[in-house]
Amino acid sequence: MMSPIIVVERLYRKFTLGVESITVLEDIDLTIDRGECIVLKGISGSGKTTLLSIMAGLDKPTEGNVIIDSESIAKLPDLHISKFRAKKIGMIFQHFNLLEHLSVWDNVLVPLVPMGIDMDRAREMIESSLALANISHKSDTLASRLSGGEKQRVAIARALVSNPEIILCDEPTANLDLGNSVKFIEILQKLHSLGKTIVVATHDPLFDNLPFESRVIPMANGKIETDI
Amino acid sequence: MNQLLMNNQVMIYLLMEVIVSVMLLIALYWAIKMLISWDFGSFSTAQYRLEKRSYLVSTILLFSFVVKFFLLIYFVFTIDSISILIPGAMCAAGVVSANDYGMQLLLTKLLILFFMLLWMSINSYDMRAKNYPLFRFKQVIFLIIFMMVAIEGYLDIEYFTHIDIRQPVSCCSTLYGQLEGSNPLPFGLDIRNLMILFYMIYTLLMVTLWYKYRIVTIVLAVLFIFISYYGVVYLFGTYVYRLPTHKCPFCMMQREYYFIGYLIWGTLFIGSYQAIISSFINLYTKSDILYNERRAMVLLSIFVAVCSSYVALYYLQNGVFL
Amino acid sequence: MRSSPFLYFLLLGIARQKGKHIGVVSISLVVLFLLSSVLFISSSLHHTISSQLESEPDFVVQRIRGGVRVDAPVEWIDKLVDIYGTKSVTPRVYGRYALSPKHEWALVVGVDFTDEQSHKGLEKLIGDTNLKQFLKSDQMIVGQGVARYLKSHFYSDSYSFMTPEGAFKKVDIFKELSDSSSLISNNMMIMPIDLAREVLGVDDESVTDIALSVPNDDEWSSIEDKIESLYYDIRVITKTDVKRIYENLYNYKGGLFLVLFLIAIVTFSLILYQRYAMVYSTERREIGLLRALGWSISDVLRLKFLETLVVVVISFVVGVAMAYIYVFVLGAPLLVDIFLGGDNLSHRIQLLPVVDLSVLSSIFLLYAVPFVASVLIPVWRVAVTDPKEAML
Repeated sequence: MMSPIIVVERLYRKFTLGVESITVLEDIDLTIDRGECIVLKGISGSGKTTLLSIMAGLDKPTEGNVIIDSESIAKLPDLHISKFRAKKIGMIFQHFNLLEHLSVWDNVLVPLVPMGIDMDRAREMIESSLALANISHKSDTLASRLSGGEKQRVAIARALVSNPEIILCDEPTANLDLGNSVKFIEILQKLHSLGKTIVVATHDPLFDNLPFESRVIPMANGKIETDI
Repeated sequence: MNQLLMNNQVMIYLLMEVIVSVMLLIALYWAIKMLISWDFGSFSTAQYRLEKRSYLVSTILLFSFVVKFFLLIYFVFTIDSISILIPGAMCAAGVVSANDYGMQLLLTKLLILFFMLLWMSINSYDMRAKNYPLFRFKQVIFLIIFMMVAIEGYLDIEYFTHIDIRQPVSCCSTLYGQLEGSNPLPFGLDIRNLMILFYMIYTLLMVTLWYKYRIVTIVLAVLFIFISYYGVVYLFGTYVYRLPTHKCPFCMMQREYYFIGYLIWGTLFIGSYQAIISSFINLYTKSDILYNERRAMVLLSIFVAVCSSYVALYYLQNGVFL
Repeated sequence: MRSSPFLYFLLLGIARQKGKHIGVVSISLVVLFLLSSVLFISSSLHHTISSQLESEPDFVVQRIRGGVRVDAPVEWIDKLVDIYGTKSVTPRVYGRYALSPKHEWALVVGVDFTDEQSHKGLEKLIGDTNLKQFLKSDQMIVGQGVARYLKSHFYSDSYSFMTPEGAFKKVDIFKELSDSSSLISNNMMIMPIDLAREVLGVDDESVTDIALSVPNDDEWSSIEDKIESLYYDIRVITKTDVKRIYENLYNYKGGLFLVLFLIAIVTFSLILYQRYAMVYSTERREIGLLRALGWSISDVLRLKFLETLVVVVISFVVGVAMAYIYVFVLGAPLLVDIFLGGDNLSHRIQLLPVVDLSVLSSIFLLYAVPFVASVLIPVWRVAVTDPKEAML
């Protein structure tokens, strides 16, 4: 449990608009161990979402390195990073980001499609994932007909379907009421007990005191304030 | 205005060539840009944009390859169908030889397909590696392809506009026949020795492909194409037509012979190309990851089997050879 | 097949988002329908004409004055018979006749029913006819177009020709020719050779031209030379010459259509490019999501191109089927007349279903290649969507 799974070294992310340059992330150094739960806390604009994106391989740093599970992903070409992401990382987004015109079942299928597995195996994986997120009973419902809380659970099922080691969440409770937020944290607890590494970027105070072992990393203005 | 240009199929063929050339021109622009500015180690947005552009180039190239492949078949079909317009021509052979450009055009097409297949194999290796090791090499090959396509375009125009429909052409029996005892076979071979050489090279090729002797494979494959051409035209073809004097590479692609010509030439060329390309890439990159060698072996074996079976069938049915 | 999640997802996407493709499919169907109809008609006519041309005489010998055909002297026949290798040398008397009242042109064809015929098509007609009955009086056999014209002008069983001398000659209609020979015989009026002579004003010492056959193909060029060296004003038209003329005419008309089509194709491509660029830009969020969930650019490209392929194939099959029905079942009203050209009597022919690989592949190439080419860049553009778009 003490081996680092995510290592961020001297990370910078700058955006250049013409002559002006905005530094969104400045000199980030971070080490996350396997099975840890990290909360990146900060208001919007603090850079936490960008950091999360870079960790997921969705964005590329301007400088620095990101090593995930011993693989340096900063300069990996698209083909490799996509495969990596499909296998090792599950993502949960702020706005759920489901395909509204598809059913719950089909939505959870999406990450599995490019992996080249056959339909039967896929079915198994989807079913166990839906069960874990407590949304099996709605598997044939169209995503557009779900409530906010249900959509979030579908998003969780989708993030878990390929059994990734790392779960990244971007403001997962921003569009949920208190009741659903608590349910969400319960699921996170379940995942933590399964040994998954979890990183949550949020400014929801609910995450300050999680019912399980976690590390809060405050961020502001693109820098980490203190790293305990 | 050459009457031929008004033929439906010729017009469609030329239009397709134009479309492919336009797409390749777009790809060329980006290929040159990439050749100049590519710097994989860089973290700049420009570099990332180029990496995305490379997908455009490879997509255009795949598209061009598929179209050009079908166009080659369509081209042969087309010139076969206009053979009626040209006095003396009874199959594509006569039309192709209507002027000097015909054969050059055909050979250029075959070369283009080879280089495109080479590019695609290099690209697939390049993509699988984590740092695009063959990137610049790839773009150079693309430039070669583009140059050849330009030449092909020029030959297309010259060929079709210089077919004089009032000038009679020879048909295949004169083109490929043995006139006045002159031997059309290379190196002064006779048919028997040609056959021995044919089967010998094939067997050697199977061995070298299996045991991955790369350089020898490349040399043998090129030689095999050369020998097989003569073998098919001067021997196997006669068994397809069941006529010892009918020597023609094109007639076997017609309906009456069940279009077997496409299978024969197809397996020969694709098989040999695969053998050359996979050996070349494995040699160049000192790796072993492509398995096209197996495919090449299968294709070439099909080729040899089909050719031999025509001879065997004839012998079994008639008790003698032609 | 169903065991592939990729295919499942592809078909799911298409089924759920039919609306996006409907516009394109509709335009495609129109384009394909027109294109296929044109190509079907032209290849069908082509085949019919070629097979009918097979029964043309091998050689036709004519006399030329001032670049124009004039009647040839009967003595030429003996000269031609003397040439070794010629067979069934037959004098022919025929010419155009303007049917009144509307001045529609018919072809009066004189046939010597006692002599061997070089024209195999006419051979068939003669074989089927009860010659005794036919030759009893001044009678003729007419083609479909003539028959229809005469009936509509109340000439029910005979027609009175006006000879060049100003006399009237009444000729009864013996029978009509069948539909299958319709293309060539449509405007023919076949009668005994002497009757034709009267009607056309060709005297007994002359013939319009002379048909002959040369059984040995290899001798054609040498016999052609021999004939041409007989007289200074002699001209030989071989069967291949006739085939070539028809072929070029057919190509010319087909070529014209294709040029028009080029314009249509360019417009089509632009529309496609525009439409798909728009469609895809609305899909950016979704594609960004797919990318964020682990789909590589290649995966997205594959999905989008297969989607395009499905649209292309479905449109192709439906469009071609529609054209097939229009041309070969309904007989292609309107279009077929444009093809057959103005100065003939109106044709009502049965278009024979001729659908071979070359026609289908021509249609497919002309449709699919510009389609994919126009869609290629928009597809790429959406496939390289930054996954960050999903985060927005």
